[in-house]
Amino acid sequence: MPALETGRKHTQFIRQEQAMTKHNAPLVNHRVLLALAVGLLGSFGGAARSSVATTQPPLRPITVNLQDKAALRNGALYTLHMCVACHSLQGVRYSSLRKMLGMNRTQYEQVIGTNGSHYHDTIISTMPSGVIDAFVKILPPDLTVIARRRSPAWLYTYLTSFYVDPSRPNGVNNTVRYNVAMPDVFAPMQGLQKPVMVAGLRFGSPAQVAVGVQPLTQGSMSRAQFDRTARDIVDFLYAVGHPHEQERARLGPWILGLFLVLSVLTYLIYRLYWRRVITSEERWWRVGK
Amino acid sequence: MNSSNPSRMRRVFGWFDDRLPISAMWRSQLTRYPAPKNFNLWYFFGSLAMVVLVLQLATGLFLAIHYQPNPDLAYWSVLRGIERDSRWGWLIRDMHIVGASAFFLLVYLHMYRGIMYGSYKKPRELLWLIGIFIYLALAAEAFLGYLLPWGQMSYWGSAVVTNFVTAVPVIGKPIATWLRGSFVVGLPTLNRFFIFHVFLVPVLLLALVLVHLIALHHVGSNNPDGVEIHDNVNDSSWPRDGIPFHPYYTVKDLFGVSVFFVAFFWFVFYNPGGWGLLLDKLNYTPANILHTPADIHPLWFFLPFYAMLRGVPDKLYGILAFGASFVLLACLPLLDRSPVRSIRYRSVLYKLNILMMAFSFLWLGYIAHGFATEHNMVYGLHVTEVFYSTFLLLPFFNRRRSARVKIVWLFAAEAVVWLIDLWMYSIHAHGWDLMLLTDWIPTLYLLLLFGLAIVFPALAHDRRQLPQRLTAGGLFH
Repeated sequence: MPALETGRKHTQFIRQEQAMTKHNAPLVNHRVLLALAVGLLGSFGGAARSSVATTQPPLRPITVNLQDKAALRNGALYTLHMCVACHSLQGVRYSSLRKMLGMNRTQYEQVIGTNGSHYHDTIISTMPSGVIDAFVKILPPDLTVIARRRSPAWLYTYLTSFYVDPSRPNGVNNTVRYNVAMPDVFAPMQGLQKPVMVAGLRFGSPAQVAVGVQPLTQGSMSRAQFDRTARDIVDFLYAVGHPHEQERARLGPWILGLFLVLSVLTYLIYRLYWRRVITSEERWWRVGK
Repeated sequence: MNSSNPSRMRRVFGWFDDRLPISAMWRSQLTRYPAPKNFNLWYFFGSLAMVVLVLQLATGLFLAIHYQPNPDLAYWSVLRGIERDSRWGWLIRDMHIVGASAFFLLVYLHMYRGIMYGSYKKPRELLWLIGIFIYLALAAEAFLGYLLPWGQMSYWGSAVVTNFVTAVPVIGKPIATWLRGSFVVGLPTLNRFFIFHVFLVPVLLLALVLVHLIALHHVGSNNPDGVEIHDNVNDSSWPRDGIPFHPYYTVKDLFGVSVFFVAFFWFVFYNPGGWGLLLDKLNYTPANILHTPADIHPLWFFLPFYAMLRGVPDKLYGILAFGASFVLLACLPLLDRSPVRSIRYRSVLYKLNILMMAFSFLWLGYIAHGFATEHNMVYGLHVTEVFYSTFLLLPFFNRRRSARVKIVWLFAAEAVVWLIDLWMYSIHAHGWDLMLLTDWIPTLYLLLLFGLAIVFPALAHDRRQLPQRLTAGGLFH
């Protein structure tokens, strides 16, 4: 990893650490008795309070629908032709997408394609490795299980919440991922956005925090169109992150049902055997009371 | 083989039985092994833990077949090779993940059962001690296995724990390097963790479980009444309150296993990550040696110990602090010397103390689940004091105490707590405000316990009349 980015990460980490360990303004120095009372009442909840508190922007709600093949195909198109320019999906093979998208092989190769790779290959970023070192500096995260690392709502908010921030090297920032390294690749489609700032906390210190975005310029898509596209991408990422969702849903009830039935049967067998013990002439369960 | 000829079958079996004590073992360990009649719900967890052990070995075998213990390959051999490329690999892996957490849950419940019913008392001290070693082996197994997927939390968790050794003065660092086989967690570490996880510790664990069972069947099972069933036998020296383990407890445990599997497979099929508790979400990012996560914490079953570690502002003392909890557990037979075994016949305040033992343990876990803020550290310190108190106060309950002795105990215990706090103040470990904000936790607990014992002496009295025979049985009583 290039020294520049490593150094910046390191500085950021040290700042986080300082923010976490710094002893902030005294809370109760003068009012110890009051503090004891407060502690007595709010002990349990109080333990969760932290000096790393950061104001979180609200996440945009989204419903993932794995049955919506049209959405999945649209998401696949954008992911494989835009995201894969930098990101990889090393855990996914092109061939495994075909079934997920409900296509035959000819359709798949005509509509989605394999970016020049073999049909059974895993999805590797099309960016030459030298480019990462020269321009991007930091390896873009693999997207195979990004939908398990982050919730769909987080991903949806992330994709739609880039805003103009001249202080950043790429000129943009993100409401849910502060100091994001990724450039705003959606700007041509979505247009630029400006932040909605509020006074809040960042790592326990007062700061202006972006909690939302507002349109600044018009892109090639309408707002609704772009939101639809972002939702389709999240749909697709969720589907590749959870490849066995349908098998789980199909098998789960049978396995649970099997053990539920077994529970009933074994309970009846247990009662059957134990009747002898309970009704034995020694009346053992009353002895000693 | 002609199965319609039973005499031949019997002859074949007899040939083996003459040379291997099959039927003798079957009789002595199952059909002629007397178990108390009154096992309740708490007695399911031991046999369930054994079922999960077998499940972990079986699923682990298949995972080991597909796993690559190499930093360049490990992450994708799990997330692509096992989860996607091999058939049913996802199911096997999720069963292994859920199984690990289930194992700990069952073992914690099993241990708490032993604490409640005094199963560590004579003649079962060694049985208890072997159990503690099983827990330690299980903890080692979980820790070693957690590195294998080579995710971010795997990597940094292992980095933190292998660094524990560096707390040892002078020789700590060389030993840590020797243990890791490298200056940081790397290829040699992954290789040895893999082989320890799949070979060394499982063999140890199986051996310990076997010894645990041999010891159990030698001394006989305790029960919720704490009555020794072998003290009351009939003419053929069969305990009057005993029933053969097979078929009575085998059918009962089968019921327990079925119910357990409903919950187990609900997690496997519908919630394998367990809300990020069974598998940390950060582990879906490959290990990055150059990027330390802002918050490194263990999985849920180690969180209470993590809170103890964080509560003490010094690495060596912190490690000693959470290590001491195992020493205290091992010392239970020495601490609690009351002749009354079962919690049923112990005093109200003893019950409160045992309840507080569990509650403070859970509370510590809750605290460690939060960020490593000073606030959480100070809470951790004071709840750790309560957790240790619940052990160290056990000798108080050994017999009925006079009011004067109670007052001495109260002042001594409070003095210890406040001395620890004074020590913390003196080294400026934490701010006054936060310390005072949480000091009430151990102080109040001790005041409550001894205050009640002084004002209402009967609350601290164990029952003098103990049952000679078992009193009740069934599932829930």
